Amino acid sequence: MKRLTPRKVAAVALAATMAVGSLTACGSGDDSADGPVKLRFLSLAWQEASVAANQKLVNDWNAAHSDIQIEYVQGSWDSVHDQLLTSFEGGDAPDIIHYEAALSGQFAQMGYLADLKDIVPADLKGEIGQNVWDTVTTPDGAVFGVPFLLESQVVIANKKLLDEASIPVPTADAPWTWDEFAVNAKKLTKGDTFGTAWPLKQPVNRVLNLGLNYDGKYFQNTDGKNSVVFGPAEQEVPRRIHDMVYTDKSAAPDALGMGGTDPLPGFFGGKYAMLPGSIYLRQQMVEQAPEGFEWVTLPPLKGLSQNQSANPQTLSISEASEHKDEAMQFMANFLSPANQAELAKGDWLIPTGKTAGEQLVASTEGKDGWDVAVASANSLVLAPFQTVPEFSEWKSKIATPAFQEYFADTITLDELGKRLVDGGADIIK
Amino acid sequence: MTTLNEELPLARKKRLSHNRYAYFLVLPALAPVLILSVVPLLNGIYLGFTDARAGLNQTTHFTGIENYTELLSNDLFWASFKIGLIWAFSVTILQFLAALGLALLLNLNLRLQWLTRTLALVPWAMPPVIVGIMWQLVYHPDAGLVNEALYRVGMGDLATNWLGDFSTALPAVIVVGVWAGMPQTTVVLLAGLQGVPAELNEAAAVDGASTWRRFWSITLPQLRPVIVAITSLDFIWNFNSFGLVYVLTTGGPGGKTMLPMLFAYEEAFKFGHFGTAAAMGNVMVLIIVVLLFFYLRRRMREVNA
Amino acid sequence: MNRSKPLTRALQYLALLGYIAFLAFPLLWMLSTSFKTPQEVVELHPSLIPREPTLDNYTSAFEQQHLARAAWNSLQVSVGSAVLTVVIALPAAYALARVRSRINTLATAWILLSQLFPFILLVIPLFIILKGASLTNSLFGLILVYVTWSLPFALWMLQGFVRGIPRELEEAAAMDGASRFQTLWRIVAPLLAPGVVAVTLFAFISSWNEFFFALVLLKRPELATLPLELAKFVGIEGIARLGPLAAGSLMATVPSLIFFAFLQRRLTSGGLAGAVKG
Repeated sequence: MKRLTPRKVAAVALAATMAVGSLTACGSGDDSADGPVKLRFLSLAWQEASVAANQKLVNDWNAAHSDIQIEYVQGSWDSVHDQLLTSFEGGDAPDIIHYEAALSGQFAQMGYLADLKDIVPADLKGEIGQNVWDTVTTPDGAVFGVPFLLESQVVIANKKLLDEASIPVPTADAPWTWDEFAVNAKKLTKGDTFGTAWPLKQPVNRVLNLGLNYDGKYFQNTDGKNSVVFGPAEQEVPRRIHDMVYTDKSAAPDALGMGGTDPLPGFFGGKYAMLPGSIYLRQQMVEQAPEGFEWVTLPPLKGLSQNQSANPQTLSISEASEHKDEAMQFMANFLSPANQAELAKGDWLIPTGKTAGEQLVASTEGKDGWDVAVASANSLVLAPFQTVPEFSEWKSKIATPAFQEYFADTITLDELGKRLVDGGADIIK
Repeated sequence: MTTLNEELPLARKKRLSHNRYAYFLVLPALAPVLILSVVPLLNGIYLGFTDARAGLNQTTHFTGIENYTELLSNDLFWASFKIGLIWAFSVTILQFLAALGLALLLNLNLRLQWLTRTLALVPWAMPPVIVGIMWQLVYHPDAGLVNEALYRVGMGDLATNWLGDFSTALPAVIVVGVWAGMPQTTVVLLAGLQGVPAELNEAAAVDGASTWRRFWSITLPQLRPVIVAITSLDFIWNFNSFGLVYVLTTGGPGGKTMLPMLFAYEEAFKFGHFGTAAAMGNVMVLIIVVLLFFYLRRRMREVNA
Repeated sequence: MNRSKPLTRALQYLALLGYIAFLAFPLLWMLSTSFKTPQEVVELHPSLIPREPTLDNYTSAFEQQHLARAAWNSLQVSVGSAVLTVVIALPAAYALARVRSRINTLATAWILLSQLFPFILLVIPLFIILKGASLTNSLFGLILVYVTWSLPFALWMLQGFVRGIPRELEEAAAMDGASRFQTLWRIVAPLLAPGVVAVTLFAFISSWNEFFFALVLLKRPELATLPLELAKFVGIEGIARLGPLAAGSLMATVPSLIFFAFLQRRLTSGGLAGAVKG
């Protein structure tokens, strides 16, 4: 090694760099002119059962269709937005993209997603209700994705504590009103136990979703211009949550800063009797509840209605994809009623298709809250905020900190309203 | 062409520093760097003077200083800038002091040094994806390590939702920042300590200088170039880091941990405002350069000496 | 240096123990979590020692995600970028530290700027360049990115170390008739060893753990690196399958630590004393 001069080292390094560079360059030619159509499918399934279901569907498809081969790529929810934006900008996006309506809508606005209006097969279209199609339709009528999994907000309760307090479990036909929920939460609050825990680390979507219960719109469109409103209807839900924490003291204040599943240890440990949260929490119940722990899914709370906003998970096709029809063929097969039921079951979410929902209730006999889950899909509608292009910016810069301050009791409801409205006016120009 | 291993006559010793061939040593480094670093960098800086937005077939216009005049009146950005400075200064200073202490300990002839040196690297070696999740659990209000420990020593009253409370969120993430960045500062300082001639220390010890005096008048001055190098880099990195905080608090509660880089990241990747985000980047670069200028003046002079 | 009093020694050990507890506690936590059942992970008062230890997390981590394949990919990328970084940075840092020229100012400016400018904003332009060079979807392209990312740090640190070596040493060697290269190899290199180790570690570990570039550059699943596979245990709203994630993360952490356990000896084997005496 003695004769190895620095420059020789450098020259060798450079040569090696180039050699390897050319080698890999040769190896990376992946698209040949003939042969099967190759499509990349970025999936966000992550639960063991759901990943398995996805992979099985893809493998079955590949075995049956030698002319259209799907490459299954598993993404992750945490990073998918940055991953997609980068690959869209770099012109290298997957052909088939799994995401959620609110955010794939943003990519649609940027022109990155194909309009599927004319290529969605009629039977798939007919399976899914118009209220759900609305959430994936742009103002000018383009359809940027096929919705396939829905999520609703329910309440999961500790059955034993309900029984001890002689509180009967409400049925899907006679759900609790917000008033009843508050009264029962108070009843359940004693000793070290809080009636409920509101995990509102990310308060905006939760509050705006539930706000529809009282017809809270939060956004209005006058003469083609969006603005934020915060009237009596919009105030209902935040005020009620705030009152449970600070007036009734039936909701744990420490839980306000928690994410959706953070209250689980406390819930399983009997610290919180009821846990408002997404329908997918049932999966944590089944997998993580201690032995002998009895839980029950309560139907969505009712204000004037049980309406909540629908933000389905979607499958979209990249505008840059050269094989949109083939991609849709795969999607239509992937989302057949039986498959949808399987996928929804794996992720503990609600299928958008009517037949799939019925199949799912039948196959599970409505256990583990499946009856409540599937029934709740009927009150999922498009909320006004979902069509506001600046929503995500308003949410992040204005609404999230403002709601967090309101729920920490550092500002009043009026101050909250003023910040939401003025901040909205600043951002929507 | 001169060859590198040619004998170096005594007479040319003085010209050692002028030697042209030294450039050849730098060149290989420049090739990949020029393409992969400088080009995107210049591109990024340029974007700060345009209205670039995310989107298919977007046309980008040069807008001059428009982004900057808008930024001037962007109170949210400046609020986050203030938080960024508190964060970067606290983390860098705490990190440096803690790492210096650790490096000194690791440099002693204690037992099992191979093990302690290795274990000190754990924060660095852990995959980032689990680091954020773990610290969330450490600070968890119900089942977290911190609150559990407080209960067990009878100070349960102090328990709180560390990341959710307005007054504790920033200090809590600062602790995580210090933890996460300590290993590399420690390793660099430890490497630097190895360069301090033992003879100097021993001579001083013979002369009866106290440990503290020896540290102050021998070790520290010898370490100075390394200290300046690592603290300035640490400061830059800390100012620029946001991933961990994003996972822990997403900038909340109430914007208390909204670091400026997090702000710029959201501007670019969540809202697609590339131009505005790049302008924020430029402003931050400018301000940090001014801050560092005073700190690095000496080093710069040495470089050009 | 072994003249310390027993009390001082005891305090030193105590302080060291405190440091290690603070820095390395996650190792214990990951170990404990990786053997817990899903029920035990969400207990209100978690215990260190699992009540019903299970190996399910390990089998699940290895069966469901391709951790072994990913570890191999990560190893190639990390070793590749560590070696390349040092090979490029060492001579360049020496030149920058010893030679007076305008290039130095430029290089210093670039080093600082490259660290200062928000990296996240460079991602898209960089991605486009790599795509143009057909370097997406290849581990080599990823190595290039990591080298570019580690180089400024390497240059900056190594410069500092070179500058810490008295010129007189080299001049003395030159006067003794040593060739330029002999001077570099015999006198300078051993003194730089600790710095080189620090830089190697930095380049290795930052590549080993890097997530985002690997995510956008490597589309073929079989090229995925460890951080990519581990991220798949995290789902909606940050909910993680904690047991398998802890098991996988532990398997990803240990190699780096072993690597360092071997390297750390080099961190102390340099030392000016030896050079002067030798």
